[in-house]
Amino acid sequence: MTLQDNSSRTVTIRAENLSKLYGDFAALHSVSFAVRQGTVAAFLGPNGAGKSTTMKILTGYLSPTSGSARVLGFDPTDPEQRIALAGRLGYLPENGPLYADMTPRETLEFLARIRGLGTTTQSAIERVVAQTSIGNVMSMPVSKLSKGFRQRVGMAQALLHDPEVLILDEPTSGLDPLQIREVRNLIRELGRTKTILLSTHILGEVEAVASEVVLVGEGRLVFSGTLDELRAGGTVEQRFYELMDRKKGAA
Amino acid sequence: MPSSSTGTIGAIASKELRAYLGNPTGYVFLTLFIVASAAAAFLTDTFFGRNLADLATLNKWMPAILMFFVPAVTMNLWADERRSGTDELLLTLPVRDTEVVLGKFFGALGVYTVGLLFSLANVLVLVYLGEPDVGLMFATYLGYWLMGAMFVAVGMVGSMFTGNTTVAFILGALGCAALVFAGQAPWASGFIGVVMVGAIAGLAWNVIAGSGKGGGAAAAVAVGVALGLALWLAPVQLRGTDVGEWFVGTFAALGAPAHFESFGEGLVRLGDIAFFVGGAAVALYLCGILISRRHW
Repeated sequence: MTLQDNSSRTVTIRAENLSKLYGDFAALHSVSFAVRQGTVAAFLGPNGAGKSTTMKILTGYLSPTSGSARVLGFDPTDPEQRIALAGRLGYLPENGPLYADMTPRETLEFLARIRGLGTTTQSAIERVVAQTSIGNVMSMPVSKLSKGFRQRVGMAQALLHDPEVLILDEPTSGLDPLQIREVRNLIRELGRTKTILLSTHILGEVEAVASEVVLVGEGRLVFSGTLDELRAGGTVEQRFYELMDRKKGAA
Repeated sequence: MPSSSTGTIGAIASKELRAYLGNPTGYVFLTLFIVASAAAAFLTDTFFGRNLADLATLNKWMPAILMFFVPAVTMNLWADERRSGTDELLLTLPVRDTEVVLGKFFGALGVYTVGLLFSLANVLVLVYLGEPDVGLMFATYLGYWLMGAMFVAVGMVGSMFTGNTTVAFILGALGCAALVFAGQAPWASGFIGVVMVGAIAGLAWNVIAGSGKGGGAAAAVAVGVALGLALWLAPVQLRGTDVGEWFVGTFAALGAPAHFESFGEGLVRLGDIAFFVGGAAVALYLCGILISRRHW
């Protein structure tokens, strides 16, 4: 099942028959889906479903064993196209990895230099600091920050160059309820102007921020469609378990 | 708009340099290097027995000192990135793998250069004790720098292999040891030979098939390494010549001390410069192969 692409909006992220093998283990098995421009799509699935692997492929960190991907029309497996894509894509990897010995300010300045932001660096930093509320910790080493602040710094680096597309791997992982609410509000706000694909295994998060849903389990696509289509005939939770059980039965 | 290649390489290099010099452990290693080089230069009977204002005694020990000091600098370069997951952050930025490799290399080379600059205290001691020849000192330090640059690249290969810094140090020291002992110990010449055959096979693949994605070059390196091992270790005689002995003899000339010797005598030979620069280039090429293995 794939998203219907017959909307007037163009497809920003497209995965076609993506498979990723690690030896005999298939982390992804022929997964296809599409995310239209200007939507917030939740990539939903239990741990080990292949969400992070898919995101690593979409950002060009990994290559698929077979299948293809396009983000903003760029092929992330092509070295030169990946460079062009990276300039227009913001990515928060799983667990928000950051350089522990650097402060958030040094981190953002380093990434701004790599991204060639030049004279706009300070205004870009001020913008993302305001968006992610990290002003009070800008001079503290990342190693001294709480998980919540580290995650916010991770969000800040993903937003630094004001990208058209955001790929966020479990952006609320490890946050407390208040921080989760703040990040979800930020994602909703950003979703008005950007295309966002975020992975999660939290069912409530899907309803809180997403309008489209891609559901995967054990490396296979289980469902792809709008949130309303997923909820048809029940709650998100009921439909999630129903679809996962049906998939297990089919396997 | 992504930064230019030189801007990207410079950004990564300066980050590495700051990370090392902003860390107390970095200064511990730098201090150990300076103390070891001063001890090797002056705390021997030979130095005062010769009654010459030069660094001949240090020259004998420098390859061995670098064999341990340089891997201590390079062990964190990539192993830390892999352990903390920041490699994923870095490699999804608008940077090429080669820019990451070169940025890391120049950062570590910067740290080594700082260590070498501090060790110029050895020259000040010579000035205090006698009248050292300026040209000789320049050539000697150029030789130290070039040899260290090659060792930095070799140490990086060790760091690319693993997420464990201790293992990265051991692998880097092993690679540097092979270069120090090549020409003196058959195992070292054979080891260097195997690495060279692997690198040549990988380069040949890149020339023939291009440098696109995929593990083709890596597979070629693996085939080259297997071929090198077979030539080195297989008990085969060809026209009365032992193939293993021929293999070891062929690569015996790739020992670092032999190519450093002329620098220590005040001579700057193009062939020796090419040896150190070429050795660094081969090691950096292998780093490029290893960094791309996430795609295999």
